[in-house]
Amino acid sequence: MRKVRRGLLVLVSGLIIVLLAAGAAWAQSASASGSASASAAGGSGGTFIEGTVNNMRTVNPWKAIESPEYEVLALNFDLLENFDKSTLQASPGVATSWSQSSDGLTWTFQIRPGMTWQDGQPFTANDIAWTYNETLNCKLGNSLDYLVPNFTKSITATSDTELVWTTDKPTSAPIRPPWVYIAPQHIYGNDTCAEINKEPFFEDGKPMIGSGPFQLTQWDKGQDWTMTANPNYWGGAPHISQFKVVLYDNSEAMVNALKQGEIDYTNLGSVDLFNQLQSESGTNGITTHVGPAVTFGQMSFNMCDPTSPDAAPYCQKNPGTGNPALRDPAVRTAISWAIDRQTIVDKVLAGYGEPGTTIVPPFATFYHYQPTADEAIGFSIDNAKQILADAGYKDTDNNGVLNDPKTGQDLNFRLILRSESDIGARLGTYVTGWLKQIGIATTSEVVSDGKLSQAWLSDDYDMYIWGWGPDPDPDFMLSTFTSNQCGTWSDTCYSNPQYDKLYVDQQTAPTPEDRQKIVYQMQDMLYKDIPEVVLYYDKSLEAYNSAKWTGLEDNVSPQPEGFLWNQYTAYSALTLQLRGADSGSSGGASSGLLVIVGILGAIIVIVGIVMIARRGKSDEDLA
Amino acid sequence: MGTAKYLLGKLGQLFITLLLVLSLAFLLFRVWQPGDPVATWAKASGAHFSATQLAQVRHEWGLDVPLPEQYVQYMGQMLTFNFGTSTILNPDASVSSLFWSRMAKSAILIVTSTFAAIAIGVLLGIYGGWKRQGKVDQASMGSSMVLYAMPEFVLGMILILLFAGTLHLFPVSLYESPIPKTGLAHWTDVINHMALPWVTLTLAYVGEFYLVMRSSLLDVLGEEYIALARAKGVREKYVLRKHAVPNALLPTITLVALSFGFILSGVITIEYVFSYPGVGKLSVEALTQRDFAVLQATFVISVIAVLLANFIADLTYAYLDPRVRRA
Repeated sequence: MRKVRRGLLVLVSGLIIVLLAAGAAWAQSASASGSASASAAGGSGGTFIEGTVNNMRTVNPWKAIESPEYEVLALNFDLLENFDKSTLQASPGVATSWSQSSDGLTWTFQIRPGMTWQDGQPFTANDIAWTYNETLNCKLGNSLDYLVPNFTKSITATSDTELVWTTDKPTSAPIRPPWVYIAPQHIYGNDTCAEINKEPFFEDGKPMIGSGPFQLTQWDKGQDWTMTANPNYWGGAPHISQFKVVLYDNSEAMVNALKQGEIDYTNLGSVDLFNQLQSESGTNGITTHVGPAVTFGQMSFNMCDPTSPDAAPYCQKNPGTGNPALRDPAVRTAISWAIDRQTIVDKVLAGYGEPGTTIVPPFATFYHYQPTADEAIGFSIDNAKQILADAGYKDTDNNGVLNDPKTGQDLNFRLILRSESDIGARLGTYVTGWLKQIGIATTSEVVSDGKLSQAWLSDDYDMYIWGWGPDPDPDFMLSTFTSNQCGTWSDTCYSNPQYDKLYVDQQTAPTPEDRQKIVYQMQDMLYKDIPEVVLYYDKSLEAYNSAKWTGLEDNVSPQPEGFLWNQYTAYSALTLQLRGADSGSSGGASSGLLVIVGILGAIIVIVGIVMIARRGKSDEDLA
Repeated sequence: MGTAKYLLGKLGQLFITLLLVLSLAFLLFRVWQPGDPVATWAKASGAHFSATQLAQVRHEWGLDVPLPEQYVQYMGQMLTFNFGTSTILNPDASVSSLFWSRMAKSAILIVTSTFAAIAIGVLLGIYGGWKRQGKVDQASMGSSMVLYAMPEFVLGMILILLFAGTLHLFPVSLYESPIPKTGLAHWTDVINHMALPWVTLTLAYVGEFYLVMRSSLLDVLGEEYIALARAKGVREKYVLRKHAVPNALLPTITLVALSFGFILSGVITIEYVFSYPGVGKLSVEALTQRDFAVLQATFVISVIAVLLANFIADLTYAYLDPRVRRA
């Protein structure tokens, strides 16, 4: 009798587990439909969730460096002007119109009337004047150069709706547009320079106040952050009610989350994962999208030459350990000829890119300089060898590696590669192989970005491969090759007084056409001098849940293909909406758990029945 | 009397080890610094700072006083669990709050999975030792060896491929859905997210407990008092339950205590593979971003956890085996 009861116990507990699973499933479906009807009733448009592997470190608009930071700032704040959809040149935004005086020294902007900050306070020209003057006076961060501090005379609000900007020289800087997010004077107006530098701009429970279509309302540092729609945005209220970003440690986990409906959108750094998603597209409600090539990858040479009279002061103080052979233009030219950029695009980028030429990507259609057929450096191992032979490089010790005619040393360069890039090591393998063919040995090392930064800032390297994501306007990218950027943004500590002069000239060029000529000349100069080899322009690879969302526009670009999300101005952020009334959140994954629990319960029930049956039999046997 | 003396001795040892380790941490983080924390912070924050501003920060962090003085300050802070504020991960937030909010999520994962691993491992170990070379023993021996030898992250990835990649049954990352749920749905959501890391951790530790329990039971079963009990005609079930298992459990108990001590270090890879927001992931973040205040705290707290676990293991051992106390 006791034995039978034990079997019963197992049977009953199994039944309880099955019932629990069923109950949980019911509760889950009830809560899912509950939230769907609630959102329909409130007229809100759901939460759009992006997955990323890039952490956000600061939302202080003056201190942003990385893309997730700019993504939040661009939705939370306004610039003086917007970027036009098709040209990415300045278009009406906060400033509705502008004019330049006939002598070119004064710009007058009409500011949109009736604008408010997200806390309801009026937004006026005074806020813009204050933000710009604070940036100039406190020399704030990376945005300072946009306000051409060397020849800006004054920036003043002449009324609530008019801003006047005067300069010593004619310049088009005010309509590039200046990448300085306009901050509310009524909140930060009393901050000292030190305070504004340390200002967090977001603290728990206090939403960040800007004037954009969204505002940052939650930020769990290192995990996720949420922006809530601003229904009073001057450009119209967004359809969606929230935009959330979730941080992942690796792209694989993120792509799985996208497939399972936990996130809605991602911009992928991994070509392999993108290809995998693309091969499955159509079957899982995920749409992939190949955007324009805005970013580029480059191999930089250590150009810090402390013996040169033109050397930047930083380079003189930190001479580093660069191999002097790389200061010979012939060596750099030969290396450039030895790199097969098309193969890199085909094999490393799986075709999602274009071979690189100059530091202003073709995406900036108006300012990108394409070298002429005569100037173009293609792929030719023979040319490369010839250039080195003509310059006197011979393998004097017959070890397969050329020797420097000046020092007699082997041409052996250190090459630093990034471990934090999906393609860092692969690029290195190709480059090393090509250089070997022309008699140059390399010692390559794959390191973290932190370590690479240290090597780069202390000029302790020969060559490294890294990348850039330039602005639509070429000014910033061009500035990184001026000599006073050595030690801050300069890739190579390149120093050329002629180039420095051209940089100022392009800033003060009266018309875009004049400026274009100078910008062309600067790119040409770098293309021939080769402080770095632009290897490729890589395309933006995006994927989103199209079964759930609609309205992402891809026409923000001067090229046929644009970005779906994270555009310079809020376009898709306003048009995006839930597809139909379906806002059912991810039920698939949860039901997986319930299936397992259910199966487990069923197994226990069967075991219980078997036990009862067997025990019963043995009781009979005993009888 | 003997017990008190034993306790005091162990406590003294614990305290001395703690001081030594804290001093070692001081050497690591302050004297032999992997990069100047102030310079790293300035770089991470992206703004240009003047020398005076940097000096100001150095002062705020107490890095501008002579090392001996820093050492005294540091010891005071550590012994009172005052870990200061985070510098890079979450500027100006207290390290303790950052740590404990993550610790809660790690603890729920680790404690439950370790208990499951102990239960499964010990029971299988007893059965395997008792019915040595039986079918169950051979099967569990083989799988235990494989699980014990396999790195946790490999196991985790296999489970991801199987359950998430192919079967699409479980989410592979985070603690809950990006849009948090409420009520009962919240808990099924959390369990659902925890399922794969939980199974990974459980499987990873089952092997260890199984192997230790089995071999120690085999040792005990070879003892003379077992032979005596059998000779007296005690039924096999009772030989096992009353004589063999209690004695064989001793090494397992040490292992249990120690494995709780390694909670913090053990989950680092698992939390990283599953993007699970616990302390393991926190220490990886602190390390890669050089948040030395957080790194120091995770280091010190994991050391304390190991020391305490050792201490508890000693005490339980002494309680269960009187010979230890007298020795």
